[in-house]
Amino acid sequence: MIYAEHLRKEFKKTVKSPGLKGSFKALFRPKKEIVVAAEDISFHVPEGEILGFIGPNGAGKSTVIKMLTGILTPTSGFCRINGKIPQNDRKKYVREIGAVFGQRTQLWWDLPLQETYLVLKEIYEVDDDRFQKRMAFLNEVLELESFIKSPVRTLSLGQRMRADIAASMLHSPKVLFLDEPTIGLDVVVKDNIRQAIMKINKEEKTTVILTTHDISDIELLCDRIVMIDKGKNVYDGSLRELRENFGQSRELIFETDPSATLTTDQFRNGLNLKGNDLVIEREKNTFKVRFNSAKIPVGKMLSYTLSLTKVKDISVKDADIEEIIRNLYRQGEFMDE
Amino acid sequence: MNKMMRRYVPFMKAGIQTLITYRLNFLGFVIGGLIYCFVMFYLWRSVFESNGGGMFLGFSMTDMVIFLFLSNTTGQLIFSSVGEQIGEEIRDGSITMRLLKPVNTDLSYLFAELGEVLMKVIVLLIPMVLGLEIYRFCVTGTLVFNPVNFLWYLLSAALAYLISFRVNLCFGFIAFYVKNLWGIGILKNSVIGFLSGSLIPLAFMPEGLRVCLEYLPFASMNYTPVMLYMGKYAAWEILFRIGLQIVWALLLFGLSKLIWFGAIKKLCIQGG
Repeated sequence: MIYAEHLRKEFKKTVKSPGLKGSFKALFRPKKEIVVAAEDISFHVPEGEILGFIGPNGAGKSTVIKMLTGILTPTSGFCRINGKIPQNDRKKYVREIGAVFGQRTQLWWDLPLQETYLVLKEIYEVDDDRFQKRMAFLNEVLELESFIKSPVRTLSLGQRMRADIAASMLHSPKVLFLDEPTIGLDVVVKDNIRQAIMKINKEEKTTVILTTHDISDIELLCDRIVMIDKGKNVYDGSLRELRENFGQSRELIFETDPSATLTTDQFRNGLNLKGNDLVIEREKNTFKVRFNSAKIPVGKMLSYTLSLTKVKDISVKDADIEEIIRNLYRQGEFMDE
Repeated sequence: MNKMMRRYVPFMKAGIQTLITYRLNFLGFVIGGLIYCFVMFYLWRSVFESNGGGMFLGFSMTDMVIFLFLSNTTGQLIFSSVGEQIGEEIRDGSITMRLLKPVNTDLSYLFAELGEVLMKVIVLLIPMVLGLEIYRFCVTGTLVFNPVNFLWYLLSAALAYLISFRVNLCFGFIAFYVKNLWGIGILKNSVIGFLSGSLIPLAFMPEGLRVCLEYLPFASMNYTPVMLYMGKYAAWEILFRIGLQIVWALLLFGLSKLIWFGAIKKLCIQGG
C-alpha cells in the first residue's frame, strides 16, 4: 500500500551570524547551508494498518509526511502509495488520501463549518446520498452537531480538530495521514478522535499513518510503529516486539519506614549492576526501583531489597512503552556522542 | 464543463461569503477609493481652469471626471490580491492545505476571487456608471451613454481582470524564492499604478513613452477598458486593443504556469 524507499530531503537555508551586523552581512552575501531534514527513511505499510510514526521533535516526521502526501519532492529516493507516485499527478493522487496537520486547518476560516463540508463534497464529488450518510456517521462519532453552524474562526481547538478530522474523512480516503491529530486536546476530545480513527480503519480498511507524541494514542491505535530520529530509521516493528526487545525494564515500588534509606550506589555495588540497569528514585516513604530484568530476575531483586529494610507495601509495574521510547531516544543520543 | 463548474462554484460562493463577512473592510476600500477620486478631481480641475477651462490634450473636464472615477472603479474591479494571498500562504505554510485538495491551484484562487469581483460589479460598477451618466447628463444636457461602448468596456474589463490576476499570480510565486513579499508588493502596486495609466492618462504622456506603455500589459489592465467606455478608439483600434489584451492574457497565463511548475519543485514548507 505505502512504500517509502530511502527518502531523503535537503533544504537550503540562509544562515545569519548573530546580531545586526550579521543581518547586514546576510543581506549582501547570504551564506547558504544545506540542512538535511530526512536522511534515509524507508518503510512499508500494508493496507488497513494503523502505523504509529514516531520520533522526537525535529526528527523529520513532518517532512516525510509531506513527501508522502506529495507536497514536497524528495531530493532522492521515492515513495509509492496505492500504486501512485504522489509527485507525478498531484491532483489525481490527493483524491485518494486525507490528511490532517494538527497545527493547520483545512477548514474555511470565515465560513460556518457546514459550508466547508459542502465545498469538500463538490471538490471530491461525493454524491448526495453518500454525503448524508457520511455526515451522520461523523456527527455521531465526533459530535459536530453543536457547532456545525458556527464560523470556523469561533471554534475552540478541540472543536476545530474534530471538525478537521471529519473533513479529512468525508470522501472515504484510502489512506489517511494524521500529523499530530491530538496535540493540545483534552482527554474527552482525544477519545472522540481515537474512536473515529478506529472505526474508519475497521469499517473501511483505511490505512492510517499517525504521528504523535502521545503514547496512549500509539498504545490504543497502532499495530506497528516506525521510529525515526535525526532523519534515519531507528526502529520498525510491532509494539509487542518492542516491549519484548527493549521492555526488560521493570519497576518495583516499595513503601517503607520513613527512616529507611535505599540508595542507587548501595544497590549497584550489592548486585554488581551498572548505569541504566538500575535506578532508584525516592519520594517520601516510597522508593521506585527501576531495573533491567534481563540482568537480575524480579525475585532476586525483591529478596535483596527485603533483606535490607522493612517494607510495608510492594507493587510491581510492567514496562510502559513511554519508558521504552524514552530509552530508545536516549540511546540515539549516546550513539551520536 | 458542467462538472468543472460544480467543483469551482463553491469557491466563488465562499469568496462572496467571505467578502460579506468583512463588509466593513470592503466599505473602507470603496470609500477610500472615492476620496482619492475627489482629491484627483480637484487637482485636475485646477489644471483645467488654469488652462482656460477648455480642452486639454483632447480631454474635456467632463471626460476627465469620467476618466478619473471610472479608472478608479476599474482599478478596484480588476484588483487582485492573489499575489499577497499566495505570498502569505507560503510564508506561514498554509499552502499545504491547498495543495492537498484535488483541484487546480490557479482556478481555486481565481474562482474565490471571481465571487468578489461579481459583488463589486453589482455594488460598485453599476452605481458608479449610473452616477457618472447622470453627472454627464446634468453638465452637457444630453444623454451620451452608449450601450455598445459599455459592452466593450465589460468585455475589456473582464480581460483586464484576467491579466491582472495572472500578473499577481506570477508576483505571488516570487514568494517561493524570497519567502516574504511585503516590500516587493508596495513596489509592484506603485509601478502598476503608473504604468497602467490609472494615475495619469497615458494620453498625457510624452509620445515615445506613451506608445511603449500602451503595448505593455499594464495599459491593458485599466486604460484600455476606460478608453473603450469613453469611445476614444476608432473601430479598428477597438479590435486591436482587445486583441492585444487577449495576447497578453495568454502570454501571462503561460508564464504563470511555467513559474508554477518550476516553483513547486522548490517548495519548502515553513513552520512544521
